Amino acid sequence: MLFDLIPFSFLVTIVTIGIVFGAVLTAVGYSTLLERKVSAWVQDRVGPNRTGFDLGQPWLSFLKGFFGLGQPLADGVKFLLKEDVVPGHVDRVFYFLAPMIAVGTALLAMAVVSFGDTPVAPVLHSSSEGGLKAQRMFPATKTELAAMKNGTNIQEVRDGAKSYESLTTIKFAIAPNVDIGFLFVFAVGGLAVYGIVLGGWSSNNKYSLLGSLRSSAQVISYEIPMGLSVLGVLVMVGSLNLERIVDWQARHGWLVAYQPLACLLFLISIFAECNRLPFDLPECEQELVGGYHTEYSSMKFALFFLGEYTHMITTSFLMAALFLGGWNLPFVTDALKAVPEGFPDFGYLICCAVKAAIFCGKMGFIIGLFMVVRWTILRFKFNQLMSLAWKAMMPLGVLSLVGVAASRQFIEPDYAKLIFQFLWSFASLLLVGVASLMLPGEPQRVPVNLLRGRAPSASSSPELSAKAW
Amino acid sequence: MATVLVNDISVDIGDEKLNCVQAAQRAGVTIPHYCWHPALSVVASCRMCLVMVGEKKPDGSIAMQPKVVPGCQTPVKDGTVIQTMDPMATTAQKATLENLLLNHPLDCPVCDKAGECLLQDYSFKFGNASSRMVDEKNTPPNKPDIGANVSLFTDRCIMCSRCVRFTREVAGTAELHVVQRGNHSEIDIFPGHPLDNKLATNVVDLCPVGALASKDFLYKQRVWNLKTVNSVCTGCSTGCSIHLDTNKDVVYRLRPRFNPRAQGHFMCDEGRLGYHQVNSSQRFRKPLERGESGTRPIEWSAAVASVDRGFRQVSGVDPGNAWFVLSPFLTLEEAWLLASYARSVSPFVRIVSGPVPRVGEDDTYPKDRKGRPASNIKFTIRAEKCPNRKGVETIVSHFQKTPLSFGDLLQACDAGSAHFVYVTGGYSSAHPGFRVDDADKLSKVPNLIVHDLMPSALTDRANIVIPSAAFSEKEGTYVNHAGLAQSTVAGCVPLRGMRTDGQVFLDLLGRKGLVRAEEIRKEIGKAVSVLAALAQGSTGEFGVFTGSGS
Amino acid sequence: MPAIAEKNVRWVKHPKLSLAEQIYLPTIAQGMVTTISHLVKTLTGTNSIQTQQYPEQKPSLPPHYRGVHRLNRDEQGRVKCVSCYMCSTACPANCIDIVAAPSPWPDREKYPELFVIDELRCIYCGMCEQACPVDAIELTTIFDLTGMSREDMMFDKEKLLSVFDQTVAMGTDPVRTKGGRLSVAAEPAGSGLTTSSSAQS
Repeated sequence: MLFDLIPFSFLVTIVTIGIVFGAVLTAVGYSTLLERKVSAWVQDRVGPNRTGFDLGQPWLSFLKGFFGLGQPLADGVKFLLKEDVVPGHVDRVFYFLAPMIAVGTALLAMAVVSFGDTPVAPVLHSSSEGGLKAQRMFPATKTELAAMKNGTNIQEVRDGAKSYESLTTIKFAIAPNVDIGFLFVFAVGGLAVYGIVLGGWSSNNKYSLLGSLRSSAQVISYEIPMGLSVLGVLVMVGSLNLERIVDWQARHGWLVAYQPLACLLFLISIFAECNRLPFDLPECEQELVGGYHTEYSSMKFALFFLGEYTHMITTSFLMAALFLGGWNLPFVTDALKAVPEGFPDFGYLICCAVKAAIFCGKMGFIIGLFMVVRWTILRFKFNQLMSLAWKAMMPLGVLSLVGVAASRQFIEPDYAKLIFQFLWSFASLLLVGVASLMLPGEPQRVPVNLLRGRAPSASSSPELSAKAW
Repeated sequence: MATVLVNDISVDIGDEKLNCVQAAQRAGVTIPHYCWHPALSVVASCRMCLVMVGEKKPDGSIAMQPKVVPGCQTPVKDGTVIQTMDPMATTAQKATLENLLLNHPLDCPVCDKAGECLLQDYSFKFGNASSRMVDEKNTPPNKPDIGANVSLFTDRCIMCSRCVRFTREVAGTAELHVVQRGNHSEIDIFPGHPLDNKLATNVVDLCPVGALASKDFLYKQRVWNLKTVNSVCTGCSTGCSIHLDTNKDVVYRLRPRFNPRAQGHFMCDEGRLGYHQVNSSQRFRKPLERGESGTRPIEWSAAVASVDRGFRQVSGVDPGNAWFVLSPFLTLEEAWLLASYARSVSPFVRIVSGPVPRVGEDDTYPKDRKGRPASNIKFTIRAEKCPNRKGVETIVSHFQKTPLSFGDLLQACDAGSAHFVYVTGGYSSAHPGFRVDDADKLSKVPNLIVHDLMPSALTDRANIVIPSAAFSEKEGTYVNHAGLAQSTVAGCVPLRGMRTDGQVFLDLLGRKGLVRAEEIRKEIGKAVSVLAALAQGSTGEFGVFTGSGS
Repeated sequence: MPAIAEKNVRWVKHPKLSLAEQIYLPTIAQGMVTTISHLVKTLTGTNSIQTQQYPEQKPSLPPHYRGVHRLNRDEQGRVKCVSCYMCSTACPANCIDIVAAPSPWPDREKYPELFVIDELRCIYCGMCEQACPVDAIELTTIFDLTGMSREDMMFDKEKLLSVFDQTVAMGTDPVRTKGGRLSVAAEPAGSGLTTSSSAQS
């Protein structure tokens, strides 16, 4: 009974988890290498180029120090073999728990993220598509969907066709067709801050604690513009389901074009969520020694990094799915439409591979952006970080949402929506920019000793005492 | 009352007969000098102390002599005016230094005197930066065999003749003299008569440059690395005041320290070289206990507890069978603490002072031409080869009202009535305090504790050996032959893991904390009337005379 | 701390931002152009990378580089050092240990029986070289100093002399301090080598 209702294949899921885990962790490893390479290239250096694979075969000698491809492996081995110092003053339970939470939540968010063309599961009952008859099971294929729209019982159709949960279509996600979709990603991603907060707090070290405090404040602040920017997507597509959103974009065009402002806000917010420069205040070395991971060493320290880079990958996939059209690439995917779906078909496999490659390529582009931005923008001060979130990004998010709602309600053709949204975004930016120019700036600082040296009458001036603070 | 004006500083010299150099010293002004030394006759040969001298007339006007005069040779009187900064005087000083440096090799980097060399100091303060000398320097050959303890670097000599006058006037043996003339003058000895008198090494201290060097200290250390403390020589009962020079807790040399109450300016070679025992590798480092199968090292706390237990066992039966021997090498404070410990258990415990090593007769200087002592005694090497006989005997007589001697102890050993004996040592290996037959007698004692520096016949027979600290490692007070009490400062930290004697006695007494000589000195001063002078705690630079003096 | 008088305080205002700067995006774009142009130039090989591939490519160090010490030899191949302790006195890290002894040679008085430099404790400041009156100690351009134990890094006299032989043979480090000679005492007696100028300087 239950298995009839829920399309769920235990074996397939286990295999998918295994593959995704391996792929993500490998990607994390190589993104650290990429990070170091990009840093080097931007700074006119060479970067790691010594660590390779010396396999002893003369014809494989080019692998020796081949772009430093052995570096992530060597780093991993080093982290595993290093002495694991646990200071005596830490709260041991949470100290051990923190890196696990950091990496666990980051990996958990990957569950709903698709990284290829996953077939869209039709809704059971949709008011927008006219009163369909409720069915006991999901339609799995387009044939089934068509049958459902016709009012046929899909159980009958399925008896003679391939079902959704059968192995005949490849689903590039661990948990495909989760209807709460990116809400799940945000919920789990928001938990990631627990890793940082617990790590900083359990270390019993004031630098660590300050780092984790900053992190919690930062993540809470940036959840809001992030949510606002994604609300626009929800308004436009009408679904939280990631496959559905990608599907919508395949049909109507990428959301980045419809909502450029929301896309920008989302991009900035994921920088902050990942604690990447220019928002890496929780771990800034200059002020906080190491921030929340000061007291960590060996693999526990590496786990924090693993979590951070996994987070980057997750959010990059999300960004690609939400705003950059997922697996869709004009002309390329259009050409693939003719290919029939179904597992045994070789053409279908090629088609899936190309779409997955497109998706991963978009993700890679965003990761590259992460790394280039790191060497472009300086780290914010904490007050700048906060005023950016609350004074600039919040109003922009609200304005963007209003624009999206308006365009959805009042403007019909897609190209008109595009033009309206572009103008609206530009105007919003200008509006907020002018408004922030009008706002009072930072208070002037006065040396404390100057205040002390003043006559008592001067200290009664409210302006001055306000300045002193 | 005579008042002298030095560089416009008025200084009252009383009725003393002083020369310009001394009068300027009183005023805090340095007149550079090489050949003049307070203990030697005046020759005014180095010409370094040239100053302008004049007289203040009763009407207030000052009449200066129109030339520079040697300050060491010019006595001052009431109204004498000395100008050391006068251009004529400074020019003369500069010229003198340039002259002295004509033949000086300037090999300061390899010269042992560098750092305490008056030629360096005065050249820096009063001399020229460069020389006009273009000719070749004289390089007379060195004379390393001038004496057993002294080596002569002939080329460094500036011919002040202090050493020559010392051997003639203080030692009286007159081994050194000046040969050749003028530019080629050299210090030398008569063939077959090396500089071997018992005061010979004093010429090294007297030499203002590095010409005469002590063979014992030669090339051992650079002087600026040395740490100097004021101490007292423990070689004989003269109790010469000395400077103790150490580096990294190793004693490198002893130098005489001027003390008009003790010995004057000098010290004898035996005392000067007597420190080598301190650096000996044979010294005990840990308490030893004799068991069935030979000796084995034990912990300090165990040793102290074991001694205390043994003493209380014997004194519990008959305190008269327990003996304490207070060596004349102990400081007053140590003797006081040990005697207090003995008395704290029972008033019948016997306390005696240790044997006093005595060698021949007191050796006085200067000698006459035949080697006989002259009548005007300038320095005495005592026959009594221990620093503190008088002090320790005072302490012993304070505690032991019926006087006993070391001989009484030996008799008691023979009679078998000494069951516990605590012997303190510290004697120098050159003059051992205990003879072998004494040691044999003492070996009959069932519980023999020996507190000593180095292995000896006595320590071989002891049940427990407690290591003793050397004089350079402990602070304390010594009372010399004349009753002069001088306190010393520890120049180095005791060997690793060692405890000073005073600390051991303090531990035996059960008193808490570290031993502080000054506090104990005050205790002694209050308790013992003849040592009342110590009640202030400090004995000052030159020491204080105690009532026990003759 | 005395209070600052108000007349001595110069008030500096934050510079006014223009609208473009306030919006921040154009300036970010400018920055990205710089970053990416460097990245592209490096990837296409159009800018010159200064990185030296060390083990294969040896760096050419300037002759005044301060690396491992050496003890110079005189013309007869003996150690030049006269054991004056000037280097150990000047050494701010206290890493030089010397034991002096009367020299076995007739033309000088003192030589180092032991001369040990703790290369791990050394900070390579070169003060020893400046302090040396006979130019016996010099710092070489050898920089890749390794050892398997702390004892390995205690360079004694023989090792320091072998550094001299090695560097002179390589030709990388000519003897560069040529101040002079100690004094007459360091020269053969009556050899006439000494002039007063060298002795006085």
